[in-house]
Amino acid sequence: MLYLIGLGLSYKSDITVRGLEAIKRCDRVYLEHYTSILMAASKEELEEFYGKPVILADRELVESCSEEIIRNSDKENVAFLVVGDPFGATTHTDLVLRAKKQNTPVEIIHNASVMNAVGSCGLQLYNFGQTISMVFFTDNWRPDSWYDKILENRKIGLHTLVLLDIKVKEQSIENMARGRLIYEPPRYMSISECCEQLLEIEEKRNTQAYTADTPVVAISRLGSATQTFKSGTIEELATYDSGEPLHSLVILGRQCHELEIEYLLEFCDDRDRFKQDVLKDQQFFKPAPWVPPQEE
Amino acid sequence: MVAFTVDQMRSLMDKVTNVRNMSVIAHVDHGKSTLTDSLVQKAGIISAAKAGEARFMDTRKDEQERGITIKSTAISLFAEINDEDVKDIKQKSDGNSFLINLIDSPGHVDFSSEVTAALRVTDGALVVVDTVEGVCVQTETVLRQALGERIKPVVVINKVDRALLELQVTKEDLYQSFSRTVESVNVIISTYADEVLGDVQVYPSQGTVAFGSGLHGWAFTIRQFANRYGKKFGVDKSKMMERLWGDSYFNPKTKKWTNKETDASGKPLERAFNMFVLDPIFRLFAAIMNFKKDEIPVLLEKLEINLKGDEKELEGKALLKVVMKKFLPAADALLEMIVMHLPSPVTAQNYRAEQLYEGPSDDPFCLAIKKCDPNADLMLYVSKMVPTSDKGRFYAFGRVFAGTVKSGQKVRIQGPNYVPGKKDDLFLKAIQRVVLMMGSRTEPIDDCPAGNIVGLVGVDQFLLKTGTLTTNEAAHNMKVMKFSVSPVVQVAVEVKNANDLPKLVEGLKRLSKSDPCVLTYMSESGEHIVAGTGELHLEICLQDLENDHAGIPLKISPPVVAYRETVEGESSQVALSKSPNKHNRIYLKAEPIDEEVSLAIENGKINPRDDFKARARIMADEFNWDVTDARKIWCFGPDGNGPNLVVDQTKAVQYLHEIKDSVVAAFQWATKEGPIFGEQMRSVRVNILDVTLHADAIHRGGGQIIPTMRRATYAGFLLAEPKIQEPVFLVEIQCPEQAVGGIYSVLNKKRGQVVSEEQRPGTPLFTVKAYLPVNESFGFTGELRQATGGQAFPQMVFDHWATLGSDPLDPTTKAGEIVLAARKRHGMKEEVPGWQEYYDKL
Repeated sequence: MLYLIGLGLSYKSDITVRGLEAIKRCDRVYLEHYTSILMAASKEELEEFYGKPVILADRELVESCSEEIIRNSDKENVAFLVVGDPFGATTHTDLVLRAKKQNTPVEIIHNASVMNAVGSCGLQLYNFGQTISMVFFTDNWRPDSWYDKILENRKIGLHTLVLLDIKVKEQSIENMARGRLIYEPPRYMSISECCEQLLEIEEKRNTQAYTADTPVVAISRLGSATQTFKSGTIEELATYDSGEPLHSLVILGRQCHELEIEYLLEFCDDRDRFKQDVLKDQQFFKPAPWVPPQEE
Repeated sequence: MVAFTVDQMRSLMDKVTNVRNMSVIAHVDHGKSTLTDSLVQKAGIISAAKAGEARFMDTRKDEQERGITIKSTAISLFAEINDEDVKDIKQKSDGNSFLINLIDSPGHVDFSSEVTAALRVTDGALVVVDTVEGVCVQTETVLRQALGERIKPVVVINKVDRALLELQVTKEDLYQSFSRTVESVNVIISTYADEVLGDVQVYPSQGTVAFGSGLHGWAFTIRQFANRYGKKFGVDKSKMMERLWGDSYFNPKTKKWTNKETDASGKPLERAFNMFVLDPIFRLFAAIMNFKKDEIPVLLEKLEINLKGDEKELEGKALLKVVMKKFLPAADALLEMIVMHLPSPVTAQNYRAEQLYEGPSDDPFCLAIKKCDPNADLMLYVSKMVPTSDKGRFYAFGRVFAGTVKSGQKVRIQGPNYVPGKKDDLFLKAIQRVVLMMGSRTEPIDDCPAGNIVGLVGVDQFLLKTGTLTTNEAAHNMKVMKFSVSPVVQVAVEVKNANDLPKLVEGLKRLSKSDPCVLTYMSESGEHIVAGTGELHLEICLQDLENDHAGIPLKISPPVVAYRETVEGESSQVALSKSPNKHNRIYLKAEPIDEEVSLAIENGKINPRDDFKARARIMADEFNWDVTDARKIWCFGPDGNGPNLVVDQTKAVQYLHEIKDSVVAAFQWATKEGPIFGEQMRSVRVNILDVTLHADAIHRGGGQIIPTMRRATYAGFLLAEPKIQEPVFLVEIQCPEQAVGGIYSVLNKKRGQVVSEEQRPGTPLFTVKAYLPVNESFGFTGELRQATGGQAFPQMVFDHWATLGSDPLDPTTKAGEIVLAARKRHGMKEEVPGWQEYYDKL
């Protein structure tokens, strides 16, 4: 049996009871270690908590050597631990497909993910549109197709959840192209970097999917003891020191319920100004007033 | 020699219309350096402060020992032309003092890259051709290069003394030999001449050909004789020049000029050239060499040659030398030819500008170059690095094309990969000092205006080999030089003492800087590789590395050849690779590129940095490419400029542009290290047929796309009848008839293919041309010398890449053997991986 087990957001004890029981039954335990990190627990702490050795699975192992993970899984029990939810932001569908091809039964044990926990900033999950990822720009790779998705979300008044890039164990371009397994030190994108990239692309596209004054909420270390929220305009947060990783950002849409705004006011520097900014921003993409059809 | 203060020199540089930048080019041993010496002795400028210290040209020790030039050296000459001659100059000039910046370049083919670097900074070329040997392979190579750079040639036919003393030819034979040589030079010129340059063929009757002997220090042009006789006959000089060459005869009885060989009664007439030009020379030679003591004084008086006291005591060759030097001083003839017929920077930059500049031809920088404007923004091209006495540091040697370069000036140093608006390959630094390069010496100056050649201190560490210096951030690069030779012979170097490794690494860096063409890099297996154009080039480079740049004892592997990997067919099926996360897929096919297209890319005719529409036009019109395909070339590889292409043939794929950079990066490395044995790919075109991508950018970053593109390229490559190519030299061997047999037997043993065998008219010499695989060329010179009793000397120059017909994946074939040996050497798995290794099933 292959278990895909969500670990939740931060603590070792965030795992579900069913998930913990499954791990206890397992012969091998892999921890997926490159799409996210567990903020408040180290590998050693997890091993102690589970009473089992944990194998760290980097990108190389998961993507190129998945046979190793599902080896013997038709006879043995294998746990594949994923920070957050197995089918949250990161999709491990390929692993499941491969296991099914071997006729290995697969069981998924869900958990909280940033995709739902983001609700703790006060914005309603019902009002979110497509989620996007913000990648680290390099000198010549500055992808901006996410801009269109923000535009689409904002057109129908929805919020946009922005997941910030992390590079836990990545190769440099040269090593990648030559197929050499040499890794760079880990990097995590900060809120200010993300806001700067947002502003850069808006300046380049100049179609006002959002502006420098569009309100956003920064969510740092969600689900951990030091979790913080910060609301303000993109321009304000471009100078915000967000502290330790991990971070996410929400760009507000027009459909902002009064309760949502009230909640966000708790996180801003200047309540009146923020409120003004939100109201001003709601003028964008406002549908034309309804005109009753003319009777014939 | 002329002693000048720096200020005097500097003031000459301001009168740009009176500056001539020229290089001396020729086949090896045709007497360039000797001829240059006679110029330097007469007109070389040395600084007044150092006039006391002798030795004007400090050459390298190995140059003297080997008797060949290895590095090009720049020397300044000063010429004063009389007023009458100034009037005949067909371009703008100012006064009658002229500054000539002369670059003496190596003649040996292995050092052609030095010639290229010299040509870039000059506008004219003095082509030296041996009377006896005629136009040789290197004459053609350098002439072609010169014309490619839009450089105007004048010719001097050298070693005429040999024809007279050794071959004892008649006057008419000599004329015929001259005429043949001029004609073969003109054939080359008209083949390679650029339309913009106009007719640059050389004509003795126009004074663009000189005849002489560098060794004996004499030379003449028809113009000089026309001057003499013009006054005597009372005929206009230009008319006289016409009469003194070609089918023009003088009938002494009727005192009439005619173009018929015979007079009215059918008696043969003597050609005017023979009668008026060659006759006095022949008579002097005959009288002096036959020791006819009584005839000599009469002749000397007639020719107005005055000998000084002890010179009168000389006889034989020594006397001949003195007499000829006084009669027809080489420096006078050559300086006159250079000043009158080679273009000034102002003239030349007008037609060279658009070819020198990468940017649009109507932008302010190109226009400034066109006008050679000293007050515009600086545009300076660094063409090579010259070692300083300070070990490991270099003077950046180059030419100011526009603006004025000053000491302390802040400049933008743009390497060859610089793109305007980006920050790659760009440094902002101040020039520490501006210097004049005078032979091996330098003199500091404050500034240097457009049109002049200059050395710079303090920019060497920011440039790899060459680059553009400018003061304006909107300026594009000057065009990168293309070399006619490639580094196809390589060795691996190792330190004998492990502690010396850092010195070796530093030494390799310096070596790479000091030579325009040498290639140093670290191979996949961690070896340090040095690649040169031939055995001799490599030998000199390694010697420099061991004794100078690194200064440590080295272990050097036997030389090996650089191969290329290519394909001969289209991929037999679509190659598919999936990204590691399986969400992205690339479908492609590989196919060969026509040899003509590859060559056009290699010699810069199809340039990755050109505007894509203009490039597509050329490819469609001249190479039968589909215009749509040509416009959708994503990149060249390796290093962004090699003869391998990625063509986008996808239809309406979303986000495609976001993976372009990853695809380009992957292709660079894939083509740099091919799948067969890690050699560069050549003539491989990859058509991307379709791509599927994940919707979110984070799942299609470089980490996903780069390995995928690399694998897909390898799979497509291996599915398309992979082959390997080996480099082939063109060998030219001159030898007497009895040695020809020996040449053939050595060539046969070495897989050589004879292309032609000709006897040089009027001489007992044979010229054999053959193709010889570079792999077989090691030790060829030695074996040839043995087989011919030391009578045959080969000149070998890289000619083309030849595809080996056999299957490189089968270790029993010739190609397979080479592959296997190389894989073993590099510590790779012995068997070449199959395409399945890189292919993912759907």
